[in-house]
Amino acid sequence: MRLSGTARLLLVALVTVSTLAACSGSGKTSGGEGGAGGDTAKLTVWSWDGTVKLAVPGFEAANPGIKVEVVNAGSSSEEYKALDNAIQAKSGVPDLAMFEYFAIPYFAIPGKLADIGPMGASAFQSDYVPSAWNNVKFGDRVHALPSDYGPAALFWNSKTFAKAGLTTAPTTWEEYYQAAKKIRTLGKDYYIAQDNGDLFFLLSLIWQAGGRPFRVDGTTVHINFSDEGTARAVAFWQKMLDEGLLNTKINPWTDDWNRALNDGTLASQNMGGWLTSTLPERAPKAAGDFRVALMPQWATGQKVGAENGGSSFGIPAASKNQKAAYKFLEYFTHGAGLQPRVDAGAFVPNVAVLKSPAFQSAKNPYFGGQQTGQVLAEASTTAAVGWQYPPFFEWARSVYSDIATPYFTTGKGSLTEILKTWKGRCVTYGNEQGFRVD
Amino acid sequence: MSTVVTRHKGRQIGWAFVAPFGVLFAVVFVLPILYAAYLSLFQDRLVGGMSFVGLANYTKLLQDPQFWNGVLRVFGFTLIQVPIMLALALLLALALDSGRLHASKFMRIAIFLPYAVPAIVSTLMWGFMLGVRYGLFRSINESLGTDLNPFQPGTTLISIGVMVTWAFTGYNMLIFYSVLRAVPQELYEAAAIDGAGQFRVAWSIKLPALRGSLGITVIFSIIGTFQIFNEPQILPSMVAGSGITTFYTPNLYAYNLAFTGSQQGYAAALALVMAAITIAIAYAVQLRGLKPAREQ
Repeated sequence: MRLSGTARLLLVALVTVSTLAACSGSGKTSGGEGGAGGDTAKLTVWSWDGTVKLAVPGFEAANPGIKVEVVNAGSSSEEYKALDNAIQAKSGVPDLAMFEYFAIPYFAIPGKLADIGPMGASAFQSDYVPSAWNNVKFGDRVHALPSDYGPAALFWNSKTFAKAGLTTAPTTWEEYYQAAKKIRTLGKDYYIAQDNGDLFFLLSLIWQAGGRPFRVDGTTVHINFSDEGTARAVAFWQKMLDEGLLNTKINPWTDDWNRALNDGTLASQNMGGWLTSTLPERAPKAAGDFRVALMPQWATGQKVGAENGGSSFGIPAASKNQKAAYKFLEYFTHGAGLQPRVDAGAFVPNVAVLKSPAFQSAKNPYFGGQQTGQVLAEASTTAAVGWQYPPFFEWARSVYSDIATPYFTTGKGSLTEILKTWKGRCVTYGNEQGFRVD
Repeated sequence: MSTVVTRHKGRQIGWAFVAPFGVLFAVVFVLPILYAAYLSLFQDRLVGGMSFVGLANYTKLLQDPQFWNGVLRVFGFTLIQVPIMLALALLLALALDSGRLHASKFMRIAIFLPYAVPAIVSTLMWGFMLGVRYGLFRSINESLGTDLNPFQPGTTLISIGVMVTWAFTGYNMLIFYSVLRAVPQELYEAAAIDGAGQFRVAWSIKLPALRGSLGITVIFSIIGTFQIFNEPQILPSMVAGSGITTFYTPNLYAYNLAFTGSQQGYAAALALVMAAITIAIAYAVQLRGLKPAREQ
């Protein structure tokens, strides 16, 4: 009895030790492969974009030595936190990670992202719409390749608009304002849109109006919310809020919001082109009602767009498989791996895709058979360039809601005051973090 | 009585018994605190990296209005929520112990059960119940024609108080109840012979017996409420305009400083100062609360 007990213990110990040895052994091998670089490697890709996986089979077939594992390490801020932690801990850093455009400077400026320009990316400038390329290029370095794009667009519910006697989408903001007033008369719950402090929409409005509140030059950041474009956009949206034309009680991406989109009481959404694939899930009951239009313009006959969201992939400087990682990056954002992703619904800023007849002529049944690709391609190519995000934007957007919420819940204050306070906080934080901010 | 030598030997063996705990305690408890203290002396900048700043993080923290805003909020919260919760727990424990309830076993488990629900799940649940667009409050508003909203800046804290009370009343009740079960039966018999009624028994036997455990539950509750995090972390993604800021509670502020603002040193300083404040308050309560018990 006692002997067998000891024997059992020994067995367990042996199994444990051998398993551990096997683990450390395999760890070593993969490290060795990484060191060799190039043709044999095991890549870890962090992505919350489900279409990236679709490019893996084709890539692995073409590059037998490279194995790709796509992991969802959380969306947006969750992933950035995880990546920051991994970089600090110097272990578990992925070979490719997904970044919204505004998050690239945060990692790129302190040198946490590899410069992929020399690997071949710098030749791709004309393959992407100008504004998308503007997001990934910093001076003469390229830190990511665009993987999806959010041209700002107007998604409008033609049924609700028709109830208010409107048959076309507003083409100017003045028309939008008039439409908002008409829709408001339909009933207590009817609004043209919601806003309870949507920073990205406000920025896209400023962007389109020509405002460039952030000027970034290396580690120097200028913040100015009083240039002409910013002032115009802010004044217009303030008027919409002051006249009670926007629903300030509904939070986007909540159950509330779904409900209002389904029953048509929220008549439109100013969001990125990515909403095309999200809207059918959110508002199945409104199938056939929505249409996509260009963002309303500041002057009749103009065609100026802006961005609202979009993301890219970059290679962390701490990755040991940069060469192989770049191969895969190029494959799924630019090369042969792009098509399966586009077929699955990814909206990409690659000119070749946007201009292709297949993309332009496809009829979208959810949008009543509208050729939505055509509209979104135009919105993408007309997106104004020259916009920059400060490197601490991830932090800045988290405190923005602190500052904006009191106004949207009590009505005390104004957008101008919010932006002024926000700037103050950004200046203090930025300077503490070693930037020169004014 | 044993000799000096064996007593000495016995002590050494005692150390060996304590060692496994001691090692774990040092590794998972003492070391992290020392590491936090070390971190709190540094500033990590996005440009320029880590640099030693001495006590600068602490002096900055003491002048940080957002920090004090959070501290005051949890302080006020504790002052109101803890007494309500403990009074409820006490009443429930007395009720269960009175033996006059039907299905008292079921009641006991039912009251304790919320404690077993993870805070994240319970926050989601309460969020749905108290949210005005769906669930309970939507129905109330619709049937009464009112416009009540439990998640406005002015009332969010009360809603959180309801959630916390729901979750922890059962836990405290269980502590009280187990103490009551330990009261010797003879005391009750004696009381009955003396002609004491139920109320008198509760007042003169049960409540004095609970005094020691009351001190413990007060301290646990203070520590717990000072660390509120889950509820204010999750609610903003569920409801609009709840008034929850990134510095709503000190723990939430520390989390946002460290992970959104990448100010780990500052967050570590905050954590330590918060720990010191909590310990000071818990200690003061212990001194005041347990003194009469000791004198008796």
